[in-house]
Amino acid sequence: MPRTTKVDCPGCPPLRALTFDVLGLVKVIQAQGKDSEIPKVVERWGEPDYSKSVLAASLVDRKFDPLLAVARKNGLIEVLNPLNGNLHVAISDNTDTSPPKDDAIIGMHLFAKDELALASRRCTLLSCTKKGNASMRSIDFSSSSSEDISTNIVKTWKVCGSGDVLCSKVDGSETHALFGGKGVEVNTWNLEQCTKIWTAKAPKKNSLGIFTPTCFTSVTFLSKDDHRKFAAGTSSHQVRLYDISAQKRPVISFDFRETPIKALAEDVDGNTIFVGNATGDLASFDIRNGKLLGCFLGKCSGSIRSIARHPEFPIIASCGLDSYVRFWDIKTRQLLSAVFLKQHLNGVVFDSHFVGEADTTHSAVDSIQQDIEISQTFSEEEHTPQKRKKASKEDGEGKKRKGASKENKKCKKKSHGETESKQR
Amino acid sequence: MGEEKKNRDLIPSMIKNKEKRAEVHANLKNQKKLEKRKRAKARDAAEKQALELGEEPPPRKTPRTIENTREVDETVCKPDDEELFAGNDADEFSSIIKRDIVPKVLITTCRFNSSIGPDFISELLSVIPNAHYYKRGTNDLKKIIEYANARDFTSLIVVHTSRRKLDGLLIIGLPEGPTAHFKISNVVLRKDIKNHGNPTGHEPELVLTNFTTRLGLRIGRLIQTLFPQDPNFRGRRVVTFHNQRDFIFFRHHRYIFEGKENKKEVDSKTKSKDKGEKASQPKVVARLQECGPRFTMKLISLQHGTFDTKGGEYEWVHKPEMDTSRRRFFL
Repeated sequence: MPRTTKVDCPGCPPLRALTFDVLGLVKVIQAQGKDSEIPKVVERWGEPDYSKSVLAASLVDRKFDPLLAVARKNGLIEVLNPLNGNLHVAISDNTDTSPPKDDAIIGMHLFAKDELALASRRCTLLSCTKKGNASMRSIDFSSSSSEDISTNIVKTWKVCGSGDVLCSKVDGSETHALFGGKGVEVNTWNLEQCTKIWTAKAPKKNSLGIFTPTCFTSVTFLSKDDHRKFAAGTSSHQVRLYDISAQKRPVISFDFRETPIKALAEDVDGNTIFVGNATGDLASFDIRNGKLLGCFLGKCSGSIRSIARHPEFPIIASCGLDSYVRFWDIKTRQLLSAVFLKQHLNGVVFDSHFVGEADTTHSAVDSIQQDIEISQTFSEEEHTPQKRKKASKEDGEGKKRKGASKENKKCKKKSHGETESKQR
Repeated sequence: MGEEKKNRDLIPSMIKNKEKRAEVHANLKNQKKLEKRKRAKARDAAEKQALELGEEPPPRKTPRTIENTREVDETVCKPDDEELFAGNDADEFSSIIKRDIVPKVLITTCRFNSSIGPDFISELLSVIPNAHYYKRGTNDLKKIIEYANARDFTSLIVVHTSRRKLDGLLIIGLPEGPTAHFKISNVVLRKDIKNHGNPTGHEPELVLTNFTTRLGLRIGRLIQTLFPQDPNFRGRRVVTFHNQRDFIFFRHHRYIFEGKENKKEVDSKTKSKDKGEKASQPKVVARLQECGPRFTMKLISLQHGTFDTKGGEYEWVHKPEMDTSRRRFFL
């Protein structure tokens, strides 16, 4: 009999993810959380049209009235309802002087903490184009008719004089934003006052006197409530940790494989980051010491464009040019399942308020808690006895590591203190 | 009889005496052969009987090969996939395949080439219409791409040699990519093929077979853009890219339909006048003549965009961990 390798998919806890592809389609992937069920594409929004290719997307993930903003290649920004795909409002990115073709939007953020939003159905979004035109605008779509959409650009500013911006990110408290790109050092902006507060300095020449030109391809903040620490990936396959409060040069920098870093995502604990590169390698690093925790192996062969971390379950999703969305377990680093979506994918986001079919009767909070419990038991059930042993071992190691890291932290604090004192 | 039964139950590899083991094994093999022959005979007999009785002969079994026991692959293209067609309409090759642009190919070598490179290229030039050879000199590939873009080339082929042997082939779609890197092997040039023909200057027909998955389709379309989309059937020239187990075989033929009178029929013509009409219609035989070169390609990587080793993004790279089974194919 032919020996065939079966892709063993342990299945996923109940989750809902949205993916965005080059044909402008938004696909919804759901798993109901039953035993070893493979997630499926349940909905597809939009018609295949290459000019509507999705460049950036942002989701406001909340229980009541979630919003999804999608930037398209033809310069349109659409605000959708992520539950059913209904279009709230579509505005054109009116940079009337330059055609949208050579000034594409590269990053977008939809603000969640907006007091006005709930009351009068308005939302605020920050978008940044390749040439560094960042703009903040608030969109009002309270009236149902599409004619009187009032968009007023609150602020516009230039992020950089020259070079191409390739990545941007807004921190968890939504007061600061990061921009970086080809020929653009990473810089931090205060969004309330619209001022640049910090710019990185290029690392020194290496021992051969060779200076690598700056090209940042991805940035991410390490934790939600701290805007001072962030990680950046470069096209010279380097991951760097910056600390605004410490110095202008990277605190730690380390290499990962041999192709440019294309996607970065942070874990909720603020110590681990997930790194994806242009040949489809995905790995997790401990950012405090730059140590490789492990690689995610799953026959992935196309460049990773986007990584998303599920807010509650220990799951990440990755997608990219090989047109698969893959769900991974963070702890065991095993592939949970892979869904083939036919096109090159540009982004993936999680809708964390999705509840599986099993516990729709419970109230929201309970169900989420239960979900967590379920997921825990679920993940425990997944392991064969052997693996369980391994996991327990790993846990032990993890504890040790934690201990070690604590020491590290202390050291770091000390060093910080020293630097501060020196500055004084 | 008892002994035979015993022998059958024995596993020859368990016997420690070599002579005995060899004997038992030979016996076993012989028996198997006889059984097989018997089965074949029975099958043939059944078929013959069925034919005599005018019944349907029992269906023949298809042998199990690596290709038809291929691992199930969800990326295999389906004919009713609208997203696939929309994607095809929008990709980098559509303007050539829709005949909006006539393909124009630039061929060059690697920097430190040996004589085999230009030899091979001179044959490629006779295969691909509207192809131009430029000496590589000391130019960077990125500079060459800029140059070719400025001159409206639609593809760029780079032939790599090492130790006086061909070893790599880069096919770059211009201006937006993608870049496919092939390993090239089993090269036989035209002069080494016996009874080879010499191709004419007509536009060839193109045969692409077995490019089934999404990746395969993309590679197939990339190859398609090298050739003009309107073949001149007068030339009776055909270029084949045949994919089998992820190896792409290149062949270049001339074909001819020949009227050939069968000798037996000629004899029968003299004997009976009734069959004269049949014989007057000559039997048409298609004949092939190979006009080289002949080579095999294997995909190493497919890069998004034009050639860029440092900052490039890959759509597909071959990794050793993907070779989990002999029955897993990517094209």
